[in-house]
Amino acid sequence: MSVVIQVVAPRLLGPALMVALALIVKGYTDVGDGFSAGVIVALAIALRYIALGRERAEHGLPILRHAPAVAAAGLLAALAVGFFPVVLGDPPFTHFPPPGEPVLKIGSLELITAVAFDLGLFLLVTGVLVTLVHQLADLVEEPHS
Amino acid sequence: MHDEPARRDQRSLSAPGQAPRRPLVAWASVACAGCAFAAVLAGWLAGGVTVDVPWAPTLGLRLDLALDGLGALYALLATGIGVAVFAYGTAYLPWHLEHEGRSAREGYRFWAWMVLFMAAMVGLACARDLVLLFVFFDLTAVASYFLIGFDRERREARGAALMALLVTGVSAVALLIGAVLLYGEYGTFSLPELFERARPGSTTTVAGALIAVAALAKSAQVPLHFWLPRAMEAPTPVSAYLHSAAMVAAGVLVLGRVHPLLALSEAVLDGLLVVGLASIAVGGVLALAQDELKQILAHSTISQYGYVVALYGIGGAVGAGAAALYVIAHAIAKSALFMTAGAVTVATGETRLSRMGGLARDLPVLAVASAVAAATLAAMPLTLGFFKDELFFAAAREAGPSVQAMAVLAAALTFAYIGRFWLGLFTGRRGAEAHPVPALLVAPVAVLAALAVVGGIVVEPFARLAGDAASVTHATAVSVDPAYHLDARAENVMAVAAWVLGALLLAGGRVRERAVRAVAHAGDVAGPRRVYGILLRGLNRVSDRVHDAEVRDLRMSLAAVMVPGGVFVVLGFLATPTSGAYVVGGLAARDLPIVALLALAVVAALRLTRERGRLGLVLTLSVVGFALAAVYAVAGAPDVALVAVLVETVTTLVFVAVFARLPARRPEAPTRRTRRRRRRNGAAAVVAGVATFATVWATLSRPTALDGDAAEHIRRTPEAHGGDVVTVILADFRGFDTLVEITVLAVAVAGVAALLRHGRQW
Repeated sequence: MSVVIQVVAPRLLGPALMVALALIVKGYTDVGDGFSAGVIVALAIALRYIALGRERAEHGLPILRHAPAVAAAGLLAALAVGFFPVVLGDPPFTHFPPPGEPVLKIGSLELITAVAFDLGLFLLVTGVLVTLVHQLADLVEEPHS
Repeated sequence: MHDEPARRDQRSLSAPGQAPRRPLVAWASVACAGCAFAAVLAGWLAGGVTVDVPWAPTLGLRLDLALDGLGALYALLATGIGVAVFAYGTAYLPWHLEHEGRSAREGYRFWAWMVLFMAAMVGLACARDLVLLFVFFDLTAVASYFLIGFDRERREARGAALMALLVTGVSAVALLIGAVLLYGEYGTFSLPELFERARPGSTTTVAGALIAVAALAKSAQVPLHFWLPRAMEAPTPVSAYLHSAAMVAAGVLVLGRVHPLLALSEAVLDGLLVVGLASIAVGGVLALAQDELKQILAHSTISQYGYVVALYGIGGAVGAGAAALYVIAHAIAKSALFMTAGAVTVATGETRLSRMGGLARDLPVLAVASAVAAATLAAMPLTLGFFKDELFFAAAREAGPSVQAMAVLAAALTFAYIGRFWLGLFTGRRGAEAHPVPALLVAPVAVLAALAVVGGIVVEPFARLAGDAASVTHATAVSVDPAYHLDARAENVMAVAAWVLGALLLAGGRVRERAVRAVAHAGDVAGPRRVYGILLRGLNRVSDRVHDAEVRDLRMSLAAVMVPGGVFVVLGFLATPTSGAYVVGGLAARDLPIVALLALAVVAALRLTRERGRLGLVLTLSVVGFALAAVYAVAGAPDVALVAVLVETVTTLVFVAVFARLPARRPEAPTRRTRRRRRRNGAAAVVAGVATFATVWATLSRPTALDGDAAEHIRRTPEAHGGDVVTVILADFRGFDTLVEITVLAVAVAGVAALLRHGRQW
């Protein structure tokens, strides 16, 4: 393992998060969406595992152990956004505000429920992939049989 | 069940009289059932409640729930009997868990499934949409699987749970097929609409028969009855609930709900009548042959629901009313009897009738209460049961003399087996010694018995409920008014004849024993349960073969998809005209980057076939992937390119990580077997490759379709406040698909956790 990777990989997490954020913020108007953003974050974390090994990667970033919860939260958020309209008597996946009505914008971020769905997707993909990386790292480093 | 007594001896138990600590969740379940009962009762008295939410209108799917008469009847049974059984369970379950040597904490699982089952049952009772009906129907099957298999350490319990799930679950598919047939013909899943539109005809007959099959399997009717006796492996509260008032009742509930459809076909009704009468006879005779308490009651349930099915077969206002009242009376009596069986088992540690007797002196309250329950089942006057048989006889009279004779025989059988049950338990020579039992094991039986007596004196509330339910079943207003008549009318004569005949059977002793044993033996040798066993073993063998052929070898599992796929594509091309389908386009200068990238992909793919080392294989494969991703980027699909790059990176990383763990590959000399395998792999690859090539070429030869969905999506994207069509499709237009896909992702990670790390997520 080269020193370059050891040094660079852990420091890539910040930029990766930045890129992911940009993808989500711009997602509805430009290339990219929650899925791509989630994969990018997970890749940065995977690189960290490769560079530091499971033990050190997780010790330095204890937040990682909440990945399954993040995945569950993402799924629940997506479900909630998708099915909330049913409570109001609309078909599922009716997004607000409806077509033709003005949208509140913060820069290129549009405050519409579809973006919230995208955010749920991002959380789910990140959580699932980090959990998988953790499980595979466990398998790769200390095979059980 | 078989080794219970032995195990009990080994583990000197604490005296059953000491009530163990009861967890809060048990009482919460009782409270939940009580509140549900109160809510349903209030809803029924208020004249019904309807909820109708169209949740997928384009597919005709609606959340259509109605607390009408029929819904109220079954929902009241599910929640009311639920209160009694749950209260009983708070005392029984701790004993059961201790008996099985399990931790008291495992009770949580039990209560969760019981409450889910109750909820599913209430939902099923109120569902007025065939798809909804199917969903709740299967939900009860799933919950029953976990409840019957609650003692999961025991092989018999697991087998019984699987059998119940397979028999009722597989037949439930018939319900779905019937629903789809009706939808195809009449364009709706909604039952009220179907009742208006449906006309007699072959489709209606076949669909009705299919729905009836599902219902009959659920109600444990001949020849699909064999799962019910096996299901007695369940803890007693489960039997008292599922196998008296809930799961088996779900079948006749469906019959009652769709009856206006079934009534369009004489053949279906006749079939119901025949199946019902056969079940009465088979269940009744086999009940006489059993020694285990719960087995007697299980066979009795088969027989009793046979009555209800036969009544639905007779149909009409009389049949529908009689069936509804029958279900009420039977549910009250049978759950009380199941709880009696559990209580005497707790008291004595025995499960067999032959080892018990004379318990009336030790358990006097239980003896009286269960006597009332038994009398209700045997249709004695002054109990609600009398009226169930009165209406049954009246309906049988309408159906003709042969059914009338069968009805008397059926009632006589019921009288005999339930008399044998009660007399064997509480009278005669003293059997096993009885400890005192907790009051909560007796009180629910007493309450239900009191209810049966009240019904025997003031029948009006029950008759009103039955009448309301029958009005739904018969689709016109029905009034059910049973009463005592002190004259020599046919119903009374039939009842007396049944009692006399039943008493004779009961006194018949040895002759009766020998006859019913012979019938039971014949059933074991050539019965449907044996057929189930043969089918299951055969299915297992086929599944093993397929597994061996397909799953053991990764290449085979790939070939299993790609070769048939390729062959079918080629056949499809041969069958359709291909002139003009393949166009060789021109090559412009701006296409050069694409051509270069494709060439790279081709070279890498060719190299792949000659690659020997694992790492080289992975990296070459990723070259193909990245080259194609670059093609997307150049060809103006940046979204696809982004995802392709990311996915390719993840795949390569995972491959490298996993391959790094594999042991080094030893170079092996090519044998005849490996050479043959290589030829086989080559052939599969060629078939798949050629088919894919042909398909892609044909697709690309068509002019880009700018009408249709794609154009519509592009046109509407600004309306959806979006700039990027792909994201808008994913999050909005096709949001539902995305949701399902990410759900699969979440399930997949749970699967990986189960495979790699015994289910630990982290």
